[in-house]
Amino acid sequence: MSTETASLAALLEGRRGSRNEQVTEWLRSRTLANSWGAAALVALFAAMLGLEQVIEPGTMRLLSAVFMFVALAQGWNIIGGFTGYASFGQVAFFGIGAYTTAVLMNNYHASFWIAMPAAIVGGVLFAVLIGLPLLRLRGHYFAIATLGAAEGAREVVNNMTPITGGGLGITIPTFGSQAPTAYFGKPGFYLAFLLLATASVALSAVLARSRFGYAMVAVHEDEAAAGALGINTTTVKVVAFAVSAAIVACAGALYAFQQIEFYPTDVFDSSFTVLMVIMVVIGGSGSVVGPLVGAAGLELLSQYLRINLGTYNQLIFGAIVVAVVVFFPQGVVNFVRDAWRSRRLSLLDNIRRYRL
Amino acid sequence: MTQFLQALAYGAVQGGLLALVAVGFSLVWGVMNVINLSHGALAVTGAYVAWLLNLHFGLDPFLAIPFVGVTLFAIGYVIQRGLINLVINAPIFLTLLLTFGLSLVVLNALQLAFKSDDRTIDTSYASQSFVIGVVNIPYGRLAACLLAVAITVGLAAVMTRTRLGHAISATGMDRGAARLMGIRARHIYAVTFGISAALAGIAGTMIATVGSFNPTTTPGQLTLDAFVISVLGGLGNMYGALVGGFVLGVAETVGGLLLTGTWVNAIAMAVLIVTLIIRPSGLIGKAQFSGRVEV
Repeated sequence: MSTETASLAALLEGRRGSRNEQVTEWLRSRTLANSWGAAALVALFAAMLGLEQVIEPGTMRLLSAVFMFVALAQGWNIIGGFTGYASFGQVAFFGIGAYTTAVLMNNYHASFWIAMPAAIVGGVLFAVLIGLPLLRLRGHYFAIATLGAAEGAREVVNNMTPITGGGLGITIPTFGSQAPTAYFGKPGFYLAFLLLATASVALSAVLARSRFGYAMVAVHEDEAAAGALGINTTTVKVVAFAVSAAIVACAGALYAFQQIEFYPTDVFDSSFTVLMVIMVVIGGSGSVVGPLVGAAGLELLSQYLRINLGTYNQLIFGAIVVAVVVFFPQGVVNFVRDAWRSRRLSLLDNIRRYRL
Repeated sequence: MTQFLQALAYGAVQGGLLALVAVGFSLVWGVMNVINLSHGALAVTGAYVAWLLNLHFGLDPFLAIPFVGVTLFAIGYVIQRGLINLVINAPIFLTLLLTFGLSLVVLNALQLAFKSDDRTIDTSYASQSFVIGVVNIPYGRLAACLLAVAITVGLAAVMTRTRLGHAISATGMDRGAARLMGIRARHIYAVTFGISAALAGIAGTMIATVGSFNPTTTPGQLTLDAFVISVLGGLGNMYGALVGGFVLGVAETVGGLLLTGTWVNAIAMAVLIVTLIIRPSGLIGKAQFSGRVEV
């Protein structure tokens, strides 16, 4: 063996060694980040549990709404953020979850603990049913088709009066021997929504780091290339849609029980969908922390505006949405992360990114 | 049979009105790939302009059209130039959110200024009608329908025969190439949005003349109708909105005759979804606009 080949071999060996080290280093940092994330989530959960002991029932109700929106935003993020299919019909799953629960509890006197899993199954079934044909559409067309599906679902519920009560609404029995499950009360719903929010964040974090999570991102980045790599894009899209539907339907079931009485226009209100989208986009879509930050921040802000600004609250809210879209098009979380990495804090860079 | 013919005639004139709402929406969508959720809000803004002109100066709504058109064109130009152009290259849901926020601002401002009461522009002729055979046709709606057809034909002529129209189409087809040819894309986009806003305003004026409007429920309904019609008719063809409008108008009135309750709305959505699945380019649209990768 000549010295030249030997040194080349050594070089190759060295390079391979260094790459292995890099991979190990990356894996270590990833595991570290994962455990930090898990610790943060547990700490947050414990803090919220502690908070419950010191706040008034009114604040509890407000925070329950915040937790619900965290779960809804995480649900939308799975199909809209990771997979890149902007669903504008997400509220359909919310409404189906709510109505499945109410119909089972009211008409069939089923326990909430049977009704809620049934609601999740209902949401997943509907997602698969409409997902198979609609997930072939791209961009705006998918957005509109899902919007149409949600509007259609509302009209169907609205017109099935014998089962759903139609436009007159539906009531879940909660008093005395009439009640299939005892009403949770404000502390109970606080805990239930907190658990749902925590579970959705955890699920999203686990998915993001799984093989399936990478498949979702691959579909988002380039669907044809993902297909060429052997990813079954149809399965990935439909499963992602079904998972997001399951989270949203579960939130709908809890919301129905919390509200006791509601109408099709309440639980199929497309402004729920819009809120989910805004929260994810403002927080940072395609990340785990983004929807959490966006949902909590925006819901607290909108409650604050409602209480303090009266009739002007919607106007200001709209203006804030416009401003955030222009100044933080990639979301607050992604903005902070990029600013941290590049050590550059510039709003102008954000505007330059997408302008003509 | 009489009932059916009446429903058909009413659906046709209603369809013309809906087409006028949708034609600007579909233009902006086709050229800039922006779904303008504030389209309904702009239509209602136009309705208020005509309503104010009628209230203070007694101006006939049909004569108010030029004023409404110019006002709304200016508003639309500024919105596009100052705001939407800033995020035009962003993923679709960002432009959706921007226009949604915009519509919240506009509608709440209108609500604060004019309250959320139902308004209508009273004329001596809008509620009058004439009879052909067994069918009753209201003058106001017929005039609005004919105006919609005339405007659509006019817009198609502008798009195919003038330099401005060619510039708009070229920018819609390939912005990079268009800019290399010396077309000022920012200006052309703003003009396109201005035209769309002006058409929305005119449609709003017509709606205020033949029916009533308010700043809370009307805008959302109009935007949704514009959505459905644009998809039904297809993008890239100025007559798409006209075809889609007539199809939706007739389907809704005839459906309303045959079905009870609000089932007709569910049917409209089913038609929309089936159209999207079977023929995503719409009834007479160009395939180019449905096949492209957008996300």
